[in-house]
Amino acid sequence: MRPIQTLTALALLSFTLASAQGTIKIGAVTSLSGRFATFGAMQQAGFKVAVDEINAKGGINGQKLELLLEDDASDTNKALNAAEKLVNERVPLVIGAYSSGVTKPLSQYMARVKVPLLVATAIDETITKPGNAYTFRVNNQSSVYTRSLITELKRIGGMKTAVVLTSNDAFGKSVLTDATKLLPAAGFTVLSKDTYDKGLTDFRPLLNRYKGQNPDVVIFASYEEDAVALAKQVRETGLSPRMIAGIATGFALPDFLKGAGSTAENFLVTMVWNADVKYPGAASLYTRLKTALGGEEPSQHAAQSYAAVLAAADAIKRGGSDPEKVRAALESTKLNTAFGPVTFRDYAGYQNQNSVVGLITQVQGGKFVTVGPASAATGKVVLPRK
Amino acid sequence: MDQVAVTAFFQTLVQGLLTGGLYALIGTGLSLIFGVMKIINFAHGDFLAIGMFITLALFKAFNLDPYLSLLVAAPFGFALGYLIQRFVLARLGDRLGEGSLLATLGLGLIISNTLLLGFGAQPQSINVPYAINTLKFAGVQVSVSLLIAGLGTVLAISALNLVLYRTELGRAIRATAQNPLGAELQGVKTSNIQAIVFGVGVSFAAIAGVLLMPLLYTFPTVGENYVTKAFIVTVLGGLGNLPGAVVGGLVLGVIESLGAFYISNNYRDAYGLIVFLLVLLLRPEGLFGRTVKRV
Repeated sequence: MRPIQTLTALALLSFTLASAQGTIKIGAVTSLSGRFATFGAMQQAGFKVAVDEINAKGGINGQKLELLLEDDASDTNKALNAAEKLVNERVPLVIGAYSSGVTKPLSQYMARVKVPLLVATAIDETITKPGNAYTFRVNNQSSVYTRSLITELKRIGGMKTAVVLTSNDAFGKSVLTDATKLLPAAGFTVLSKDTYDKGLTDFRPLLNRYKGQNPDVVIFASYEEDAVALAKQVRETGLSPRMIAGIATGFALPDFLKGAGSTAENFLVTMVWNADVKYPGAASLYTRLKTALGGEEPSQHAAQSYAAVLAAADAIKRGGSDPEKVRAALESTKLNTAFGPVTFRDYAGYQNQNSVVGLITQVQGGKFVTVGPASAATGKVVLPRK
Repeated sequence: MDQVAVTAFFQTLVQGLLTGGLYALIGTGLSLIFGVMKIINFAHGDFLAIGMFITLALFKAFNLDPYLSLLVAAPFGFALGYLIQRFVLARLGDRLGEGSLLATLGLGLIISNTLLLGFGAQPQSINVPYAINTLKFAGVQVSVSLLIAGLGTVLAISALNLVLYRTELGRAIRATAQNPLGAELQGVKTSNIQAIVFGVGVSFAAIAGVLLMPLLYTFPTVGENYVTKAFIVTVLGGLGNLPGAVVGGLVLGVIESLGAFYISNNYRDAYGLIVFLLVLLLRPEGLFGRTVKRV
């Protein structure tokens, strides 16, 4: 038994050595298990499509790109361990993580070890607030989602009052802060603002209270199946505002459409990428992501992760494999991708923040149709929602 | 209060009662097991998860109506509970007290991890169009599936009561609860009775799981959310007191709902726990007394 084990170990070792010589490695941390597993699967698909695309085009400076993917099990400590492991493997850059709650401490750790962190998905405002030159973000910050939604609501017109309900975590609180600041500025009265703890599955009392307040707009921000539970219970309680909106994440998942069925109809959902966007190559990206997901519909998270790998490869191409040089190269990134443009700029109090057009989609006939802004719209908004 | 606010209040009350009914159903199984065998079943939430996943699997494989899954989940739960009592708990012998605690905790871990292996960690739900239909009485709107869940709870608990007080088996169960040795001397096969009781308890958890599935989503550790509720319900009503568990469930459901409606949603779990602590302090025997004998 022992000789066989030794041989296997040797074979594995030589295999790793052999593969190590010919490839450029970058690290990625996402939630392949745990409560964010669905998003992790989306990210994984995006990574895969990008790596395949880069390698099919001949890799980076003649070398193949290899992605070292680590699972953080939706847990901060595991994410930090995974990042440490990747840093010890001397990757010049790490992409990750999925959720804001995990990404914030991760970005602090990466700054300490001076290796750039490329954030693909997490949208908490503070992640790209200054003070951390090693964090770069492909996705928009949460206020862009909220602001573009409120701008759109104002454009549609005829709505004066709003209630906001978000999850009780970094992402949700970020949205709650943005919304309660931006809504009054746009002329809305906020009748009620609430958060809920994860694991809560009975939103009925809250929705009943909203029904009593009779708001024009209801804004939700929540993860995954909470979005489904919310949509179903909105129908159950008979809450019928003129418009209901969900800020990205759970609402932007194809699973939301599947799980909530007809109760999702006419929800406004903010996102930065949808199958009907007009960037060159977007249709092909959609098809490739769908294949990578085994036929499942891709979400914006997959497209963001795809763009993050492209940006990483581009920076390594220009900066080599030294983390410091890659960091400098990221600062001068200028890419046009099927996800949209990627440039990391310092503006309006943010550092190394990409800026993508915030899309407003509406669920129509069980599909996300982009209805705003006017430059990107492929359909017309239906109001009031049915 | 204007008319809209009054309607919203009554709607919350009715929905709280129906949610509480589900708590009661879960608590009844726990209470029954405690009443007869004096053990606390820590795997109760995981048995509920089994019920949910059976519904999910049958729906995905055969597009089976979730409520028809009851025909599978209830007998499966019973058989599982029966076998667990026969082959695991009964073997603990004199060490049943502390042994059952570890054994049921361990069983729970095995179940949740098996579900994790089989179904993955991500939350999953099923979507049946009629589950979102609603009925309206005087402006108070309630979903059909929540009503079905409430009706199912009433039926299951009434059936259990009929069995306990109108049949020979029920007499044997009650005898076993009151005095196992005495029952054994009267010719009652207490080991068999205990296995049946455990089976019924597990079956109740599985039934609750099926009834919850059209309303909610499931994931391997979903039981955790409910097992605490079941404990609160059981203690509120008095350990081993079945009518107590029913009232305890309804009280908890209403308190949680009204608390979230009037005060704040964030302390939702706290409302139940505050009442729980008050009952423990003021009436340690539960609202209806620790009438284990009455099972």
